[in-house]
Amino acid sequence: MRGTSTSDDPGARIVALHASGVALDLGTLELCVLAALHLKAEHLGVAAFAEDALVETFTQVIELTRAASDGELGARRRASAVLRRLREQRLLVRVDGAGVVRQGEYALSRLATGIVTFFLEDEALTRESLDVLVGTLLACLGEVRAALPALAGAPAEAWRARVEQPLAVSLVELARGIERRQRGFDLQQEVFQREIGALLAADWFGAVERCTSLLDTTSTLLAELHELLLRHAHRLTEALFEIIEAAATAGATDAERAARAGCEQIERIAAWGGARQRAWSDYHEWVHRYLRDVVRLDPSRVLAHRLREQLAGEGPRYALVVANAPSIRLLREDLVEPPSAPVRRPKRERDVEPEPEAPQDPDAELRERIRGALAGGARGLAEVTARASDPEAPLDARFRTAGRVAELVASSAGLASERERPWLPTTDDLVVEEWALTPRDAEGAGG
Amino acid sequence: MSESRFARLEDVVLDDAFPEVDLVLRRGRHVGRDDGEQYTFLVDAQDHLEPFYRRYGCELVHKSDGYFYLLPTTERLGRRHLSLVEMLVGQALALRYLDPEVVETGGVVSRDDVLAHLAGVVGAEALVKLLNPKLRRRQDEAIAAHNVRSRVDGALRKLAALGFVEALPDARFRLRAPLLRFAEPLRGADSPEAQLAALAAAGEVVVGDALDEEDTSE
Repeated sequence: MRGTSTSDDPGARIVALHASGVALDLGTLELCVLAALHLKAEHLGVAAFAEDALVETFTQVIELTRAASDGELGARRRASAVLRRLREQRLLVRVDGAGVVRQGEYALSRLATGIVTFFLEDEALTRESLDVLVGTLLACLGEVRAALPALAGAPAEAWRARVEQPLAVSLVELARGIERRQRGFDLQQEVFQREIGALLAADWFGAVERCTSLLDTTSTLLAELHELLLRHAHRLTEALFEIIEAAATAGATDAERAARAGCEQIERIAAWGGARQRAWSDYHEWVHRYLRDVVRLDPSRVLAHRLREQLAGEGPRYALVVANAPSIRLLREDLVEPPSAPVRRPKRERDVEPEPEAPQDPDAELRERIRGALAGGARGLAEVTARASDPEAPLDARFRTAGRVAELVASSAGLASERERPWLPTTDDLVVEEWALTPRDAEGAGG
Repeated sequence: MSESRFARLEDVVLDDAFPEVDLVLRRGRHVGRDDGEQYTFLVDAQDHLEPFYRRYGCELVHKSDGYFYLLPTTERLGRRHLSLVEMLVGQALALRYLDPEVVETGGVVSRDDVLAHLAGVVGAEALVKLLNPKLRRRQDEAIAAHNVRSRVDGALRKLAALGFVEALPDARFRLRAPLLRFAEPLRGADSPEAQLAALAAAGEVVVGDALDEEDTSE
């Protein structure tokens, strides 16, 4: 799906891939057809196949694999379906561009070639393949280095043509070739580890010698590869540093960047060797110990059988004893002050003893004012009310006061009233029924 | 006395490795070949350390499978026996150790693999009953299964602390040679009963009534 996104951001590229709905759906038959086409192209030295040749290859695959066939017509129909699926998935591409004018010619796409190569070619890293690849790489770098003196002061185009492009194409491609073979080697190791397990499962004690030999062979190969990678990486990095220096001096930043990228790739390749050797060393040691401690000590596998029975609850129960010394108690060196006491309020008696208090007469003041008014010569209820009330108080308060005045006056003075009792104002907004009042003293003196 | 880099016990005690090795042994850890320097130190110092630990009422045991551990023969240093769940998980791990299947992964197993293996051999229902001893009535299956998982996790942690396995990231464990101790009563030409009796007499295992003092606090 290259070309769907020009962004270098891996996240953006993944999103673009997902958005375009990429998918591969390949069965065994389709893979075999692709492999047959790939092998045929190599054998005959052809780059593309006519439609008839595709159908013929499909039929041959069907015959070879003895897959069910429904006669010639059925095979042709099935071939059309399979080939259509391969084209839809861009594993087969039409290369003639003639459209519907005549039968087309088809070639395997890069995707198809990659898939087929994975299954067909043993691309694991070996001493020989590493030597060849590194030799070619060194030759390529040698050419670039030889061109460096002539490039001093040369224009950017010359640097691009003589340094940047050879590095970007030759170096990167060859280094990728090594990395691809390293991945092939990793895959081989996985298979190899499964193989050792299978050998032991099948032939237990009898497999010890074979397993030991396999382990030792792989260990030797890994050690050699690691040593070779280190040696070659040193030479390659040296050559690349020379190019980096020359490019930096000439200000050819793109060429310098390409050489630095190459350096990083070489370092990665060299690091692989170290990492694999460490991992292999652990595995190698573990399996060797297993062969020595387990396989040789239990050649008839009785121990595993007894342990299985024990675990299933068929033997007497037992438990291992282990040391269990308590940790040494270390006393603190610093004196730890106890936390300060929490802040507390002093206790106090919440219930206060009641104190005697003189009762208050709410009418005492009013009664005093009435007495004053009467003593001052007031002889009518309206006048007494006007003098005893607070003229600034609200109307309803004065209304209540007028009622209390009438009640108090009735108990503290003699009353007389006409048949027709007039209503007289005490203030502008309050009138009372007028009573003629006689102070009690005057009444007593008179009576 | 074999050739050793230590002439006297004093040299052993003054070695940089001694404090750490001494502490881990007293805590019940099994020191194996995987432990590198600690194991080499013990091999070199074995002749001096055996009488040293005997004074504490312990035996420094060196197994031919390639590991050391301290076996208390008295109560002076403190000892315990493994719990039921630790024994079950330990035996399941030992069984995996003997299985050629683990060779492919270099002796690395996952927690789920151990659990599946244990359930496969013991039986899932029996395992739930064994590890839920206080289960009086029918309990929710999910809760019982969760309890089994958490007890197995706890046992794996303790067995890792004792050096039977090495804990790796992502709930994976590397099997170590001391796991063969779980199969010790079943090894040899003698009958397992006779072998077990001999080990019990040596204080290596407890059997019978002593097991009833099971630690059920987990």
